[in-house]
Amino acid sequence: MKKEPDSVVKRSLFSWVLPGNVHLQISLVGLITLTVFARVLPLEMQKRIVNQAISLRRLDLLLYYCGIYLVSVLTASGLKYIISILQTRISENVLANMRKDLFAHILTLPLNFYRKAQPGMVVSALVTELTTAGTFAGLAISSPTINIFTLLAFAGYLIYLNPLLAVISLGLYPIILVIIPILQKRANSANKKRVDSTRVISSLIGEAISGIHEIQGNGTFRMENRRFGKIVDKMRQIRIVWTLYKQGVKVTNNFFVSLGPFVIFILGGYLAMHGKLELGAMVAFLSAQEKLYDPWKELIEFYQVYMDAIISYKRTMEYFDVPVEYAIAPEDREAYQLEPSIDIKELSYTTDTGIQLLDSINMTLKPGEALALVGFSGSGKSTLALCIGQLYKYTSGHILLGKQEVSELTKEDMVHNMGFVSQSPFIFSGSIEENLMYSCAAVHDREDGDGGVPTLDDKIAVLHQTGLFADVLRFGLNAILEKSRQEHLAGQVVHVRENFHREYGERLADYVEFFNENKYLRYSNVAENLFLGAPNDPAFSENQLPQNAYFLELLGKADLVMPLLSLGGELARQTIDILGNLTPDPVFFEQSPISLDEWDDARLLVDRLHRTKLMQLSEEDRRYLLKIALRFSPGRHTLVALPGILRDLILEGRALIRESIRKDNPSAFSFYQLSDYIYSQTIMNNILFGQTKTSNPKALDMIHQSIIQLIIEEDFLETIVDIGMQFQVGSKGDKLSGGQRQKLAIARTFLKSPRIMIMDEATSALDNKSQTRIQNLLETRWKGKSTLISVVHRLDIIKNYDRVAVMRAGKIIEMGAYQELIDKKGALYELVGGKK
Amino acid sequence: MNSSVEKNEPCQICEFQENLNILREIYFFSVLPLELLKVFAYLCTREKFKPGDYLFTQDDDDGQAFYFISGQADLIRTDNGEEETIRAYGPGDFSGALSLLSNTRKLFSLKATTPLVCLILSREKFVHTMNQHPQLMESVFQAVIEKIHGWEELFIAERSAGCNACRRKIGVSLI
Repeated sequence: MKKEPDSVVKRSLFSWVLPGNVHLQISLVGLITLTVFARVLPLEMQKRIVNQAISLRRLDLLLYYCGIYLVSVLTASGLKYIISILQTRISENVLANMRKDLFAHILTLPLNFYRKAQPGMVVSALVTELTTAGTFAGLAISSPTINIFTLLAFAGYLIYLNPLLAVISLGLYPIILVIIPILQKRANSANKKRVDSTRVISSLIGEAISGIHEIQGNGTFRMENRRFGKIVDKMRQIRIVWTLYKQGVKVTNNFFVSLGPFVIFILGGYLAMHGKLELGAMVAFLSAQEKLYDPWKELIEFYQVYMDAIISYKRTMEYFDVPVEYAIAPEDREAYQLEPSIDIKELSYTTDTGIQLLDSINMTLKPGEALALVGFSGSGKSTLALCIGQLYKYTSGHILLGKQEVSELTKEDMVHNMGFVSQSPFIFSGSIEENLMYSCAAVHDREDGDGGVPTLDDKIAVLHQTGLFADVLRFGLNAILEKSRQEHLAGQVVHVRENFHREYGERLADYVEFFNENKYLRYSNVAENLFLGAPNDPAFSENQLPQNAYFLELLGKADLVMPLLSLGGELARQTIDILGNLTPDPVFFEQSPISLDEWDDARLLVDRLHRTKLMQLSEEDRRYLLKIALRFSPGRHTLVALPGILRDLILEGRALIRESIRKDNPSAFSFYQLSDYIYSQTIMNNILFGQTKTSNPKALDMIHQSIIQLIIEEDFLETIVDIGMQFQVGSKGDKLSGGQRQKLAIARTFLKSPRIMIMDEATSALDNKSQTRIQNLLETRWKGKSTLISVVHRLDIIKNYDRVAVMRAGKIIEMGAYQELIDKKGALYELVGGKK
Repeated sequence: MNSSVEKNEPCQICEFQENLNILREIYFFSVLPLELLKVFAYLCTREKFKPGDYLFTQDDDDGQAFYFISGQADLIRTDNGEEETIRAYGPGDFSGALSLLSNTRKLFSLKATTPLVCLILSREKFVHTMNQHPQLMESVFQAVIEKIHGWEELFIAERSAGCNACRRKIGVSLI
């Protein structure tokens, strides 16, 4: 196999057709040969049926030839199907290869590229733009082969039947080849005009709609109509021309193709009359002529696919044709283990547009030294950090890491030696643990073993160090235990519950709503209020309740069906009314019983609700309304109030339902009891034996502190943290706060424990306490172990750095120990003074 | 067009309606269209505080804005371990516009002195909502800027005449 070209973006469209598909393509050509044969055979049979079987009145021959005819038609269709399967496989193979290679290339593009690139463009390039190119690759060899072969075979057969007639009837095709492209060109140019005029008209309509108050206020209806009318008329003209040419192509093609039989009738008829052409041959001639049309059409279609494919392929590849700045991994050696010294000489960095961001920077850092980079925003301190971290490619000068030039190191060399925490770290969807391992992953992601993979203790240690421990613990406490897997924990939790109620029960009563049989629980939902129990039978799980006939019957007895349906209707209406104009976002759904993924259905339902009465809704709609009513908890979903009457009805219903279940189906539920673990509730709610009422962070903190104390006493803190580390952070980590995301980013770098650490305002989103904690850690635990460069915007944390560099306008204007610089009363002194 | 007005039969005086009325009175929100105010009225929450509870503490970025529905709180500044009460907050007061707009550390602490009920909106919710209507940020900034201007004007007129040290530092509207 040939060596592949260096870069995916330089490859031609055709270069994709063969690699990896050689076998498929060869089988395809073989199948095509068979198919062509199977296509021509029926023509010969036609001739023989007329000439021999019918004219000689021989039934055996008729059956024999018809049999062959049938077999070849069946074979041809079967083969056609197999060919299309192979084509699809080739297309999809090529498409998958293109996507993988292009994605791999995109990931390595310099950060500069992404300042201009729109994520949407990248998405559409990978997802849609390449598909036509893939389709083309499937057809590239097979389609022209099969159609040209078929055309040639038919033509050959026609010549074999009667050379003169064949040459004249086939002579029509070259004429088509000349005329059609001319018409097509005109159609294309008309089409371009049509697209342009559509754009003009849409912007005009858009303007009229957004400026409607001006139009109505000024009464300029007639003027606007004239303006619109003019463009519409122009568009009409363009569309007519476009359609005319488009239809012209079709009509011309059809005309010439149907001229074929005319030639055959007039010339063939004449020849047949004079005995120079058999009748059977003429029949065969006619059907061959007709059959020429299909491969002809397919060829023209293929031509169009080719045109589209080459355009979208080129556009896509050109867009990403940016040189990659660094190799991913060294080819002929292991990644370097660098000595963590940093030596910068005459470093400059100029952007593409010629703006100089760094100007002749000189400095050295010995292994283990800590440097704080300070200066006003825009002074170049982040740029310097990004250059050292190989994220920007400096334009002149040198950065030496352990005597190796950064611009010549591979990415793998960098990740083995350096940890980089950026200003606004990105967190990927997945669990906390997966994100914690993200930086380590690249170092350990090698076939040759997994030595040094962090243990649970290591992970817990960095969680502690970064102050993320309490958050992870909270996620753990908010998890729901699985009865089958984690039953052993239940007993411990119940034990903690007892201690909690004894030691903290009264003190925290203001913040917790304890489960209580005789009270309506405002912070629990309606379903929980109806049962005050955890379902053991899946038929009674919250999602199944609206379908559960027994439950519905009980609701009926308690007179709750209509009130709950109408509550559900009101909740849906209010939610849609409030959020209807927004793009759905998880933040908006925390306070409504409707969830994000139900959004579209809920909107449609509310539309129907505006037109029909509750009772006239379909069974399915009513079930859904009941479902959201059962999820409603008035303490949390404040967009609708719980009417007092309904509250009392639910309380009465609770007594009725619990009693009925105890009688009819006692094993279906475990009713809440202070002595039992509740599997439908979170660990936290189990400990509280209730639900927190507040979202006030300080109050929640108090509750957590007391619980943590008790969990430590019971010795299963680590277990809960482990559960908490499985918390799913959501897309882009959007279930975490800004501070949590930043702590997680620091934690993943600490876990990797790199020799060189660069922190680019890494603690800017943290509260004071966390910032101090991490600063202390850098000054104790990491001191001397890692060389540290910290871009700092708060000057009160830099006192204990070995060195401080003050930057202004891309230059280091002062560098030295903190006290030394303060005593000098230079730039740092000013900066610190200016801050006060 | 406005379906909520005609379709809210079962909604008795619910929190949502009250919140909406409150937001329409606050300078920071009243510049926004009703459609958006409804979203904020829905997203904000009510919190109760006990005397001695801190609503926020000095140097922390709590990322929240508060409207006082009932009760009192003291604004406190701590320097070198010494607490100084600056002034009291009470029903109808609003605080935290800057916290909604960007990460800012509070320069003061706010401590409840009586049982307190506040309406609270977090920056996260505010930002997520405003991101969908970026063009409306302009009016929000306008409102904040006018507020700062008005505040300084009043300060110059009322207070600074008697305080020479203050007079040297005035000019926050010139930043």
